[in-house]
Amino acid sequence: MASGRGGIPGPSRPSRVLLLALPPLLMLLAFSASSSAAAAAASPSAMHNNNWAVLVCTSRFWFNYRHMANTLSLYRTVKRLGIPDERIILMLADDMACNPRNNYPAQVFNNENHQLNLYGDNVEVDYRGYEVTVENFLRVLTGRHESAVPRSKRLLSDEGSHILLYMTGHGGDEFLKFQDSEELQSHDLADAVKQMKEKHRFKELLIMVDTCQAATLFSQLQSPGVLAIGSSMKGENSYSHHLDSDIGVSVVDRFTFYTLAFFEKLNMYSNASLNSLFNSYNPSMLLSTAYYRMDLYERPLNEVPVTNFFGSVMKTIHIDSAYSGFLAAHDVETILSTGDNLLNHAMLQNKSSQRRSNIEEMKETQLRSHGWTDVLLEQLDVKNSDTIVMYGLATMGILLAISTWLSM
Amino acid sequence: MAAPPSPLHALSRLLLLSLLLLASVAAAATAAAEEEEEFTEELLLRPLPDIKALAHFQFRSSAPPSSAAGRHHHVFPKAIAQLVQQFHISELELSFTQGRWNYEQWGGSDPMSTNYAKPPGVELWAAFDLPLSEIDATWKNLTHTLSGLFCASINFLESSTAFSAPRWGFKLNEGNLRYGALPREAVCTENLTPWLKLLPCRDKAGIASLLYRPSIYKGYYHSQKLKLTSSQSFGIIIDQTLTVVLQPDTFRAKHLHSTDGQLQPSWSIKDLFNRKLSGKCLVSKSSRVFLEIEKDIVDKIDKSGTEASWTNELFVLSTAPDRVLKKLNSMDAQSSSLYEYDVSNYNDDKPLDVSITWKLPLIWSCTPAPYHVNRFLMGSGNERGSIALSFRSTNLHKQLFGSSNDCSIKAVVFQVVPWYVKVYYHSLQIFIDGNSKAISEVVDKIHVTPSEDKLLPGTLEMLLRLPCSMESATLSLDFDKGFLHIDEYPPDANQGFDIPSALVTFPEFNSSRSYPETDTLFVSPLLQTFKEDGVVKSYTEVLLVPLTTPDFSMPYNVITFTCTVLALYFGSLLNALRRRIGEEERELKKTATKRGLIPLLIAKLRGKKVDPPPPGSSPASLMSIKLLLKVVFVAVVAATFHYLSNS
Repeated sequence: MASGRGGIPGPSRPSRVLLLALPPLLMLLAFSASSSAAAAAASPSAMHNNNWAVLVCTSRFWFNYRHMANTLSLYRTVKRLGIPDERIILMLADDMACNPRNNYPAQVFNNENHQLNLYGDNVEVDYRGYEVTVENFLRVLTGRHESAVPRSKRLLSDEGSHILLYMTGHGGDEFLKFQDSEELQSHDLADAVKQMKEKHRFKELLIMVDTCQAATLFSQLQSPGVLAIGSSMKGENSYSHHLDSDIGVSVVDRFTFYTLAFFEKLNMYSNASLNSLFNSYNPSMLLSTAYYRMDLYERPLNEVPVTNFFGSVMKTIHIDSAYSGFLAAHDVETILSTGDNLLNHAMLQNKSSQRRSNIEEMKETQLRSHGWTDVLLEQLDVKNSDTIVMYGLATMGILLAISTWLSM
Repeated sequence: MAAPPSPLHALSRLLLLSLLLLASVAAAATAAAEEEEEFTEELLLRPLPDIKALAHFQFRSSAPPSSAAGRHHHVFPKAIAQLVQQFHISELELSFTQGRWNYEQWGGSDPMSTNYAKPPGVELWAAFDLPLSEIDATWKNLTHTLSGLFCASINFLESSTAFSAPRWGFKLNEGNLRYGALPREAVCTENLTPWLKLLPCRDKAGIASLLYRPSIYKGYYHSQKLKLTSSQSFGIIIDQTLTVVLQPDTFRAKHLHSTDGQLQPSWSIKDLFNRKLSGKCLVSKSSRVFLEIEKDIVDKIDKSGTEASWTNELFVLSTAPDRVLKKLNSMDAQSSSLYEYDVSNYNDDKPLDVSITWKLPLIWSCTPAPYHVNRFLMGSGNERGSIALSFRSTNLHKQLFGSSNDCSIKAVVFQVVPWYVKVYYHSLQIFIDGNSKAISEVVDKIHVTPSEDKLLPGTLEMLLRLPCSMESATLSLDFDKGFLHIDEYPPDANQGFDIPSALVTFPEFNSSRSYPETDTLFVSPLLQTFKEDGVVKSYTEVLLVPLTTPDFSMPYNVITFTCTVLALYFGSLLNALRRRIGEEERELKKTATKRGLIPLLIAKLRGKKVDPPPPGSSPASLMSIKLLLKVVFVAVVAATFHYLSNS
């Protein structure tokens, strides 16, 4: 980021990577020598060396204040944990802070107590208002921009990037609404992610979605290295947390509220794992079931610190020889990954078996009612149907009589 | 271990060193004298007649011609230097505004209103130092870059439907100027942050530290502007200004007569911004605060016979000013007093908090523009309408030029209309004092660029000559509303579409004010802008045109209705074609013998003997028995529920 925010539209891609790296000329030279090797060696060997965040609020209109507060809370968190502004793409579909309905101009709160102004003195919004469209969102992900688009509006990630993609808004079964006029479908998202993978735009991607039926948005994902968290399962709604009567609308969603509650306890140096984040979601507090899709992700979650996605904390590598590019140390990670796989699997299985037993119980009750009718039908077949009908009518009459008598 | 150097050796070394030092200092000094990047910060405060206060921040950074300094900058923002270099900009002005300048109350012909009253939303114009054929492409890239730089959707100005190339209505040029406006663009903190990042001290020190966001954005008017001029001879100069109209915090502000809320509140810097000024930005060449008192008040003080010093019969300032400036050639027309404070005399222990306390209840007014200009929409429905532009005379010319009635006043109207508002320029009608006038009588010069669908906006530049005796004039233009493609509607199309503000300039009126220079070496940029030849301008309101919005449920309705009609038609057709009446009758006869459960029941209840059903019909009867059983079951359940719920 030598040229800083929004400089002049960037040069072609390989040289941009160079610019991105480091200003000193010597290092540049060293890197340019090694970068060709890096490109040849393909993505899986690349090391995690930078972090990006794409934070999207897709809802327009004042009553969707909470979606903007959600996004800004996450923005604040990732900034606090070390992702710099030029590596955060913030998309806000409406202007809440200076909205004429806002009683607190230039301020956005995510809590009734108004302790924390999320819209502080240093917010940089990259896409706002009418610019937040499905098209622009997909362009950001896939990096297919017009040549004039400035660097600050591009996701300039590479094969060593960990990307956090956070989206909030109104969604449904396999879609997410943009500004009440467009939809992002799960296929679109999956295609974009696939394209990103092909273009070596990320090493690992964490998609976090806080909408109704968020889990359905992940159903089409296929690319390796993708981890997804949704606020609710199919058929479930995601609810807001509480209403601020001064502002007049709900200020935060439950899922995001508890995510933030988890992160507020952390700083850049804590090594809480993704697993602990996932376990912190309590369905009875969320009023929905948080969904995790981790079948595309190789590393065990209890080995991955949350700061790998929500912060910008790199692994420090001690080397004896002179500096020689980013190729190294990935083998350490693979060793780690085998360690606690078993435990994780067991947990997963446990959960799924519980769910299965639930379903079976429900089926049984349905069957039992069927059994009763079967018995009756048998009776009807064997004996004189008319008498049974008569008896039935009589008992009904008696029952009605009794009930009316009792109710009097 | 080393032997101590001989004294002679040491002496020679010292001599050499001092020589070197001297040389380097001299070189630096000459370089500094030749060209130096400068930064100045200034704040102007002015009480307004409607119990509000105006605060105007002005920051000027200048860089010498780039060939001399290379690409290195000391205090000048690099991003801007790159911008100028890349796009060959000779002049650029970008403003972000929220709210509308109140020309009647806050003044219409002073430097503040002509230079810093801007239309709501974003306004951008730029003049390029390029061949005409390259300008449109450069403009497009410029809008994208600015949108990245200032966190705004300025890139919407890239499409040819959004900008225009006025020749003389906006600013006289040779076709190298482009103008675009986005009336609905939101203006908030995220636009101010990058703007502040262009300042060497940001908002951490100096006058900019007063910019406490919640208090600025609470104001009635807020306009943030960046003006850039560049040339080979003097380099690049950027003026960053922020003009806000605030309501002093009346809780703390002491009213003169607390019973009458209409009287002037006394206020201080702390009341306006919730901050005090504790020292200047250290790299700034000068850092000053001015307090301006309108001519009307100064006249009143003069009338009372005292000198307009900082403590007089009408008001008292809390701190003695470092200088008092009065307008140079103070004719009767416009002269105001400026009280100047040098911020470098103040620090953390002794912060500057100028306050003005009124001694007497006071009513005054600001100098208005020659005409109050308003624009409004006429007509109803979603098909057509008309735009009306009205001028109301304020009789300023009588004060200035005496009351001769044969004269005329020039007014230039510049208006850009988006293509979907299809204006019929031939339908221009002019009414003066209610009487219709021939166009040739009033319009001196007109230049129209008609709109092209989805390609060009319509631009109207018009020079009017309005008679002095006139009280009011109205211009009207008819238009048809166009249809947009379904993709072109914004998500909140129901809100309507904006027509950007029109600009009316009065070339015969000048807003400049000049003050005496006490410091010959340094000219205050703020006073310099005041002195510049400023033509009186005023922007009109933004118009909101409701267009036909697509009813997105309509296609759905159409589909369902058509499907129903088709189903009915084909269903009955098929029925008529397929039906075999003879066959059906035979069937009916066959089934006549069958008995359902209900007739069976009825028969049973009547005590009749029923024939045993034929063997073929047993599944049917079984079905109906099932049905009956279900009914019974439901009834039982209902009864128990009824019973349980009642008990």
